[in-house]
Amino acid sequence: MSLPALRLRGLRKTFPKVVAVDGVDLDVAQGEVFGLLGPNGAGKTTTLEIIEGLTSSDAGEIEILGLTWARNGREIRSRIGVQLQSTSLFNKITPRESLDLYGSYYPKRRSTEELLRLVQLEEKADAYHITLSGGQQQRLALAMALVNDPELVFLDEPTTGLDPQARRGLWDVVRSMKAEGRTVVLTTHYMDEAEALCDRLAIMDHGKVIATGTPASLIADLAIPSVVELTFDGPAPEPGAFATDLGLAVERRADLWEIPTPDPKALLPRLLESAEARAVPFQQVHIRRATLEDVFLHRTGRSLRE
Amino acid sequence: MMLWRQFAMEWRLYSRDRVAMFWTMAFPVILLLGFGTIFRDSAGPKLTVVRVATLAPGARDAALDQALVDLQLKVVALSRAEAETRWARGETAAQLEPDGEGYRLRLNSYLMAQAGATAGLVNQAWLVAQARLSGGPEPLRIPIQVESPGRKRSANYASFLLPGLLGLNLVSMGLFSVGMVNVSYREKGKFRRLAVTPLPKWIFLLGQVLHRLTVTVVQAAILLLVGYLVFGIANQGSFLNLTLIMALGTGCFMAFGFALSGFAETSEGYAALSNLVFFPLMMLSGVYFTLDSAPVWLQHVVAGMPLAPFLKALRAVFNDGAGLAGHGLGLGIVTAWGLAAFLLAVKRFRWA
Repeated sequence: MSLPALRLRGLRKTFPKVVAVDGVDLDVAQGEVFGLLGPNGAGKTTTLEIIEGLTSSDAGEIEILGLTWARNGREIRSRIGVQLQSTSLFNKITPRESLDLYGSYYPKRRSTEELLRLVQLEEKADAYHITLSGGQQQRLALAMALVNDPELVFLDEPTTGLDPQARRGLWDVVRSMKAEGRTVVLTTHYMDEAEALCDRLAIMDHGKVIATGTPASLIADLAIPSVVELTFDGPAPEPGAFATDLGLAVERRADLWEIPTPDPKALLPRLLESAEARAVPFQQVHIRRATLEDVFLHRTGRSLRE
Repeated sequence: MMLWRQFAMEWRLYSRDRVAMFWTMAFPVILLLGFGTIFRDSAGPKLTVVRVATLAPGARDAALDQALVDLQLKVVALSRAEAETRWARGETAAQLEPDGEGYRLRLNSYLMAQAGATAGLVNQAWLVAQARLSGGPEPLRIPIQVESPGRKRSANYASFLLPGLLGLNLVSMGLFSVGMVNVSYREKGKFRRLAVTPLPKWIFLLGQVLHRLTVTVVQAAILLLVGYLVFGIANQGSFLNLTLIMALGTGCFMAFGFALSGFAETSEGYAALSNLVFFPLMMLSGVYFTLDSAPVWLQHVVAGMPLAPFLKALRAVFNDGAGLAGHGLGLGIVTAWGLAAFLLAVKRFRWA
């Protein structure tokens, strides 16, 4: 592998009331889709903004395509593509005009037609921005991040607030970026998105990277490949004595209990027996594969969605 | 090239914004046409005398009536009953009525300014009428001309209002087109989106400034053209002086809006802040009326704010054809405001 696309060492940023980024080290290889996964407020966006040169860091080193902000600011800006969490455009500008205008800022640019085709906005090319749907606006934001044919693309929560169909559409655009050989760094708080798109992930919480790896390796590292779920009709009760009987950790969620286990087959008879004995009023039993959600839960004791 | 693109795009987007177009281009013209027409009175205000009809009018009455009209008085002829009703309402300043063989002039003590002037003219008319009846030479009169002070070409209110609107346009351009747009760009992250591109920031800002500048020029040209075509108002001073003053005002009020935008976090906050500045400035600076009758302390305060001295100099050039020489202090005050605002703007400006 040649030069890394991105290299961070000891990145730190403190705001008056909170340490937003607390010593982050990252290496992103060229051509991979790298995800920063974490709940809101984990420091993902701040990390990204420091890398993009929008926010200054208090400490740490950043190398982007082998370049540094201190020496090569203009070149970095020419070679990266950025989609910010909210890209606001004028109400009465068309996608074609936006792409032409932003394209004109760069020495190297892709044709507007090609970009419109890539994000499937050809039909809306001459419609005012205000008439585009949320998904279309977000696809335009991705196209704008690609106007300069960038080697490295940063996407900040590209699918937040979109319906499932629009999210799939955006995922396709991200996959095509990878297919074109670009390096993509994205943030998300959706674990399904991280699993579907990312070659490698860093899970962030409270400004720190708490785990790095491929989605599969992160789950495998848990050593608890399965989770048994007992669902209730209404709020789940306290597990209390039931958990003591089993000798296992029982996580209480809104309307279910989660019991991580390496061997669900062995657990199930014991579990049903205890439930019978304690008269646990559960409705259904599910066995599922562990997900990134469980990885996060296991590492932090909290749910991603909380 | 980049600058031209930026500038052209600003104009294209602006031309699609009908609300902005209305307020900047059409609204000042509507104000000028409206007020200019309402207060159109090119011969100046006339003094009115109520003439109570004589039961059997003779040659003397006819001669007096003619003389009253010749002396530029507005004569309202009423029957005695009608005249009494009008008098009782307090609308009559002076009432000329038959009294025995002669006449009597009743003056309203509450309207002595008009009544006194009218009385003078009525007595002159009486002398003229007598001379005409006797066939003798008319008495020599000192001619009287009613006009508004300081206006060479026209006593029309429109010629007073037009420079006021030119100035007001600059203020609203600075506060709303520059200040408001800054805050909303910052709030919506438009500056941040630009900051991640290699576009030099000065090109973006200069594009904005050039666009506002050309909007101002177009706006002023439209107002001047309408003023000339509809009311016959023309610049009495040198075009160079007019341009210099307008350029100074544009710079001052643009900087003003820029500086103010540094003090608000949100568009809503800025709207409140800018209106707090805009309305007193508009009402107190002599845009629509002079402040000659305001308390002296208020006039002093207003003279220290940027708009009033600006308008004073502008009107001196535009309406009275004066030079800039007598307005050094006023223009100095405007410049000082502009410089202070510029320094503050640079200090407080934030991209995000």
